[in-house]
Amino acid sequence: MWHIAKRELYDNLNSLRFALTTVLLLALMLTNAIVHLREHPKRVQKYNDAVTGYENRLASYANESLYLLAQQGPGDLHKKPSPLHFCAEGGDAFLSGTVNAGDPFMYSADMTGVWKLSYPAVTPNLENVRPDAIKLDWGFIIGYVLSLVALLFTFDAISGERERGTLRLMLANSIPRHTVLIGKFLGALISVSIPFTLSVLINLLVISTDSDLHLNAEAWERLGIIFCIALLYMSLFLALGLLVSTRVRQSAVSLVILLLVWVTLVVFMPNTLASMTGEFSPSMLSGEFWKRYRQLHQELDEKYEDRVWSDNSDIKTLTARSEYFSLHVVLDERLNEDRLNLQINQFRHARSIIRVSPVAIVQHLLESFAGTGFERHLQFIENTQRYARHFREFVVDTDRKDPKSRHLIGIREGMAEKPVSPASVPKFEDTLSLSKDFNTRAMELLLLTLFVMVLLSGAYLAFVRVEV
Amino acid sequence: MLKTLIGRELLDNLMTFRFAAAVFITLLLVVANTIVLLKDYEQRLTAYNTAVQESREDLREEKTYAGYSGTLVAHRPPNPLSIFNLGLDKQVGNKIEVYHAFVPTIWDAEKHGMDNPFLNLFTSIDIVLVFQGVLSLLALIFAYDGLAGERERGTLRLVLTHPIQRGYILLAKYISAMLCLLVPLLISLLLSIILLTTSTTLALRADDFLRIGGIVLTSLLYVSLFYLIGLCISALTRRTSTALMLCMFVWGVLVLVYPNLILTAVDIVPKPNAQISVHNQIKQMWEQLDKENKQFIRNDGVLSPPSRGGEDLAAGFGLEGVEYTFWQDEDKPSILLYFHQTGLYAGKIKAESEPQVPPVQNYYGFYNRETINTVERTWLVRKPALEAIYVQPANLGRMLLRFSPVGLYDAATEAWAGTDLEGIQDFFGTVQRYRRAVVDYFYDKKIFESRQWFAADKGTADWDALPQFSFHRSDTGINAKRALPDMLLLLTMNVILFTVVLLIFVKSEV
Repeated sequence: MWHIAKRELYDNLNSLRFALTTVLLLALMLTNAIVHLREHPKRVQKYNDAVTGYENRLASYANESLYLLAQQGPGDLHKKPSPLHFCAEGGDAFLSGTVNAGDPFMYSADMTGVWKLSYPAVTPNLENVRPDAIKLDWGFIIGYVLSLVALLFTFDAISGERERGTLRLMLANSIPRHTVLIGKFLGALISVSIPFTLSVLINLLVISTDSDLHLNAEAWERLGIIFCIALLYMSLFLALGLLVSTRVRQSAVSLVILLLVWVTLVVFMPNTLASMTGEFSPSMLSGEFWKRYRQLHQELDEKYEDRVWSDNSDIKTLTARSEYFSLHVVLDERLNEDRLNLQINQFRHARSIIRVSPVAIVQHLLESFAGTGFERHLQFIENTQRYARHFREFVVDTDRKDPKSRHLIGIREGMAEKPVSPASVPKFEDTLSLSKDFNTRAMELLLLTLFVMVLLSGAYLAFVRVEV
Repeated sequence: MLKTLIGRELLDNLMTFRFAAAVFITLLLVVANTIVLLKDYEQRLTAYNTAVQESREDLREEKTYAGYSGTLVAHRPPNPLSIFNLGLDKQVGNKIEVYHAFVPTIWDAEKHGMDNPFLNLFTSIDIVLVFQGVLSLLALIFAYDGLAGERERGTLRLVLTHPIQRGYILLAKYISAMLCLLVPLLISLLLSIILLTTSTTLALRADDFLRIGGIVLTSLLYVSLFYLIGLCISALTRRTSTALMLCMFVWGVLVLVYPNLILTAVDIVPKPNAQISVHNQIKQMWEQLDKENKQFIRNDGVLSPPSRGGEDLAAGFGLEGVEYTFWQDEDKPSILLYFHQTGLYAGKIKAESEPQVPPVQNYYGFYNRETINTVERTWLVRKPALEAIYVQPANLGRMLLRFSPVGLYDAATEAWAGTDLEGIQDFFGTVQRYRRAVVDYFYDKKIFESRQWFAADKGTADWDALPQFSFHRSDTGINAKRALPDMLLLLTMNVILFTVVLLIFVKSEV
């Protein structure tokens, strides 16, 4: 078996396709690294500036009074850029980088409610008249280019030998057929892995020249996983190539079939399917959202109108007002969250359906291990929601410690007016955890492995039964 | 002789598996994507119609002319030909305010409400994109063994024993392959047009079919270019397997890698900060207006300073019956938009304030006139600056894309469909002219200095007499003119490649 693999390898190393693949992958990976070096410092700078702004805002309110903190809230919460952005860009331009936790409702010039969580949507292309392109990340290089290369290395593996008559020669020896097949598979795997590994190493070398972009141990762990996923994905297309090559008499026909399958599966299927399946779990229409918004507020206003707005500030009015403010926020947040959840569900639905295409699986996997993309965005939203709860608890607890306060949150007369030490206010920290990624992605990894298994055993069965 | 050759080639091509596969895949992809795109178009059209209806109703509710700020809105209808090439049609804003205090541009436009912004993460695939990927691949698959295959099998030698010129053989091969490639192109287009005509909301006009014809012609040039590339490779190589391998790499580079590589590598991100001085200049012009405004009020005996946000306006120039005053500030450095406007609304002016009304009317006549002059002056610096920030990098990107046939094809079909930058600019040009027409109408009817500008008691604003906004896509001739340079480039490349193939083939030993 190793003998066959070695022979395959030598054959491939001398071939034109090996040289072309090496050049192509190196060019792509180098560009990727250079662009990352150019863009990433800007992203980090932007994030750091935003976080500084957030902390200053928080400190200035904390120095004023607890009341202002409770009214204005923590402000914009920012998503931390991933150091592995070059692995998968993950459509970050279409995912909002902030969640807004501030923006209290102004009832009138001198009456302001309490902050709430809202999830702004981004329309990034509004000012953009540039031509569109797929971002040149590892996801693109692996998903599109590497899969094409894998097909080009295997389309003639069996049919070519049969055409030349060498297959008959080989099988005349006492080698079991599955050994031949596995030998071929391993040979192709190693010969595609060589240029790929080389280009990945050069890519990482270039990226690590910049001292600002140091990758920590966890990042290297993630890169290792991403590399393994790439190999798995590559094997899938190698197996597909072997399967078709076994079944078809001529290598040219085999390549034609493979290319058409590739174009359909990789280039067109994910997006077309996604757009087709969007229907099945519709999200809330924006018109319906505003209708519900108005309805909820009308009900609330009717209930509280006569108790809240009287001019005398006795304890009863103040209590009602505090209750009204907090109910208002609860309703708003629930509605925002409902809409967000519907949107997420619709998107998830589409995403799970396009998993019939392996390129979608590999891109989802890459995204989640690189810490970008949709799942990461969901984690970020979850983080902000947890932080919002934490922040509210902090305000209530601090207020409770003050004996003079009347414990009416959001009302100037009802709360502790003392300033709070800025250091004690909880700060938002956006975090990523590898174990969680791994659990959510296990399913997709399994699916990918299953694809490889099915295709390989298909190739084996076809090869065993084939006439030479 | 040529006919016999073509006939033989045609038969050879038509009976192959690759031809059947080609037709099947193209049909499948085009039909599936047409259905998706049609649904998307219908959604956008519904959004457009609702938005037009809503803003019309909003405008009707305004009683004074000054209230038209923010309520007089022009909407951009979705382009039905965006199904063929989406271009910028879905990307840029489709809702733009018409107001005398700024000149509307692409960058000031907003978008109709989106139901699910996450769905933006999926790219839309238009018909041209399918052709771009699949037909080019097919052309190469048809071409790679055109010469190398015959040479390998020895049939080339056989054919050349007859007294035929080599050029004829090449021509016969070219014509028959093009005929074969035309089949999937035309059938799939026909199917998608049938699908489009079944839709009740999408109405294709006669000149739209001319534009589709232009797209077909461009597709033909594009496919033929790839066929010739394949033939060139085939003529250069001895073995079919090498030719096939080279073809696939060339396809991968030209279609898949180069466009994305070049757009990622070259930094074409707009840099608004480079033009920050222009923004300051614009700001200064508005401050100048503010000064003149205060000067005017000071000189006027009846009105008393200060104006903007100051006590006098807040008190409504002492008019009894003013319900509210408003001021509008816009400051967006990234798109160099800066203006401010003040105004007031009076439901019913009381009799004792009646002597105050003519000076206020006079003031608004002056203020609005000066505002429009300021806008004209800021536009002189804003327009070139916007071009420098947004259009030039985009054009650089498009220029670089043209080094690949894919870029040329995309640009030409966008121009035919009218979804290119110029096609979209047509709309904003129309909106700019409409703004001018509204301003002229206000001048003509002396509305700027009328009582109805701010008061609703003696006659309210008559919105029906206002010029109506209407937008028509440009003529087919203009589309053709825009598509022509790219098509000519494609044609030239075709001719050059054909000559090259011919030369190689004539010189080569069999």
